[in-house]
Amino acid sequence: MSGYDRALSVFSPDGHVFQVEYALEAVKRGTAAVGVKGKDVVILGCEKRSALKLQDPRITPSKICKLDTHVSLAFAGLNADARILVDKARVEAQSHRLTVEDPVSVEYISRYIAGVQQRYTQSGGVRPFGISTLIVGFDPNDKVPKLYQTEPSGIYNAWKANAIGKSSKTVRDFLEKNYEEDMDKAATIRLAIKSLLEVVQTGAKNIEIAILSADNPTEVLSTETIAEYVAEIEEEKEAEAKKQKPSRD
Amino acid sequence: MDIVLGLRIKGGVLVATSKAATRGISVIKVGDDKTRELNPNTLMAYTGEAGDTVQFAEYIMANTRLYGIRHDIELSPSAVASFTRNQLAKALRSRKPYQVNVLIAGFDPKTEKPTLNLIDYLASNVELPYAAHGYAAYYTMSLLDRHWKEGMTQEEGVVLMRMCIKELQTRLPVDFKGVYVKVVDKDGIRDVSALVYPDEYPEAEVTEELEVQQGEIAA
Amino acid sequence: MQAIADSFVGTGPMGAMAAQHEEDVRAIQQQQLTPSLAVPPISQPTAFLRAHTDDASNPDCKIKIAHGTTTLAFRFKGGIVVAVDSRATAGNWVASQTVNKVIRINPFLLGTMAGGAADCQYWETWLGGQCRLYELREKQRISVAAASKILSNLVYSYKGMGLSMGTMVCGYTAREGPTIYYVDSDGTRLKGDLFCVGSGQTFAYGVLDATYKWDLTVEEALALGKRSILAATHRDAFSGGSVNLYHVTEEGWVYHGNYNCGPAIWEAKEKEDSFNNIITKLKDDE
Repeated sequence: MSGYDRALSVFSPDGHVFQVEYALEAVKRGTAAVGVKGKDVVILGCEKRSALKLQDPRITPSKICKLDTHVSLAFAGLNADARILVDKARVEAQSHRLTVEDPVSVEYISRYIAGVQQRYTQSGGVRPFGISTLIVGFDPNDKVPKLYQTEPSGIYNAWKANAIGKSSKTVRDFLEKNYEEDMDKAATIRLAIKSLLEVVQTGAKNIEIAILSADNPTEVLSTETIAEYVAEIEEEKEAEAKKQKPSRD
Repeated sequence: MDIVLGLRIKGGVLVATSKAATRGISVIKVGDDKTRELNPNTLMAYTGEAGDTVQFAEYIMANTRLYGIRHDIELSPSAVASFTRNQLAKALRSRKPYQVNVLIAGFDPKTEKPTLNLIDYLASNVELPYAAHGYAAYYTMSLLDRHWKEGMTQEEGVVLMRMCIKELQTRLPVDFKGVYVKVVDKDGIRDVSALVYPDEYPEAEVTEELEVQQGEIAA
Repeated sequence: MQAIADSFVGTGPMGAMAAQHEEDVRAIQQQQLTPSLAVPPISQPTAFLRAHTDDASNPDCKIKIAHGTTTLAFRFKGGIVVAVDSRATAGNWVASQTVNKVIRINPFLLGTMAGGAADCQYWETWLGGQCRLYELREKQRISVAAASKILSNLVYSYKGMGLSMGTMVCGYTAREGPTIYYVDSDGTRLKGDLFCVGSGQTFAYGVLDATYKWDLTVEEALALGKRSILAATHRDAFSGGSVNLYHVTEEGWVYHGNYNCGPAIWEAKEKEDSFNNIITKLKDDE
């Protein structure tokens, strides 16, 4: 114990706020989530922890939450913390509609969420949110997809594609290698699923996919549809592996 | 002397609100819409103290929509009415009560029933087949008592609504600049002013359905 | 506040007077030592203001807030025209003939002023600050809808506490086009094409409604705005001084000058053969 992680608002001599860094550890232990932008869609995907034998999957909440009709959020980290943050964001989204007579922009709500997270690193008697979030959606009167990420420290950034949570580095490396500009809907979904398959061993039944497009409300893919994509991807991988085998001989 | 009037029809509710916004001795707007869409199947029509009305309606609207986002299912119209009543009751016992009277018109997609609730600023809430606030009630209630029937079609409802508006135009001492008429049914909320005032909407797109309806009304 | 209130209660029985006096002296000495806020000796400031400033219900009220005004704004093909008079009155006293009743919130937004001069001036300047903060935070100009709603929410939070404002927030944004919102201290907020506000509103409406059409040219619109205010200054005792004219376009507002009502009346009379109620010749002179 160095003593610099007892109170939240205390720096260590080399400028670290340990509690915030521990919160990032909690994020790393959370199941993975990815966000990928296409030409006119944006996809959120996440790893779904498999339900225990006696668990009722109907009432196990999803890691993808709707913040407003045009914005959704996926998180990695402590589920219970996320619930609080998501509710604050939903109230803010409605409050914004009430006071400005416009829906929130994706940047606005990302900044708001990051702002709340920051506040919880600088006040007494509180603990930082143990979650990172991916926020996706469309600005009012706009057809350009948006993707932002926030962290427990209160940082927020815009991305073309990104991953958070367990093995996020592996997924991000994969996205960096395979991302293409202006992908159509199917290609974007495929990339999201493919990147998740890098770290999800159990396949379609443990993957959740949400699709947002400019004038469509959030569309959630059924397990069957995801399974089709997965099968297609597996086939492709096998074909590739076969192609490579003869050359090795 | 704002007009807020509603009547239940088969599978829906018709709501009429006057278009004039009056301040002092001047009508300062002739196309004022005194309704807010609380959620896709619930409409609030309001009258009362200037300022309070819109603030209250929009507050209820924001909270009703928040409920929809939070729970991924919309509040039923009767639940919205209860919530509205409750907020008014709370305000009534506060330092500054909302002086607002409202009608809540809705169609519950689960029970497939249309409902019309009358709520006044004293926070009484009643579900009624037809209702009105203010002076409009004095003229139209007897008329509706005489002519309203359970299970009226939309066309019959429009005719009855037209009778009410005609009576108000005849007897009210001030010009209320006409009304907006909206219907709430299984398909959501729509403006049907063009059905009630076919002559005043020459630019309104006359669809086949509309033509048939107008023909039926004329006959 | 308690110490001040107690001194108004009056003295107790005679025997207690000396002791009371000593206590008072001590209280005063103590007051001089401890810092405190000066608070008016009134239990309910809102009720006090209502009782002493409401001219309409009590003509003998002691505090007269500057009220009379004529302001107008209307939308047309070429943007928005804003015209206002410049007289400030306190009761029957003409306090000033050179008041600026258009507040330049920012290069794209104008606010007009009717009702309490101080209330309008202060809160519309404050609104300018809020709009600038929005701009810095959101990296885009605030919509007229949002700006007017900030003001209407603010005045609504003070409802019943004596604010007196009738204002039009006029502006142009790419998304909304030319837009006017009427906002008053009741908390009313209405979007519209044409508004006249103030004690002279009826007179301004009279001229404006009769001649207004959407397809007015910019010159016609400016002339109509000016003429409508002139009509009001002629009939409303609480409006007068001069006319201030503005034109709002997609590039922001443009000031179109100040016109003294005195000469302007004669100009109008001669040019349009109007104001024929003003007789310049005695019958015998003909």
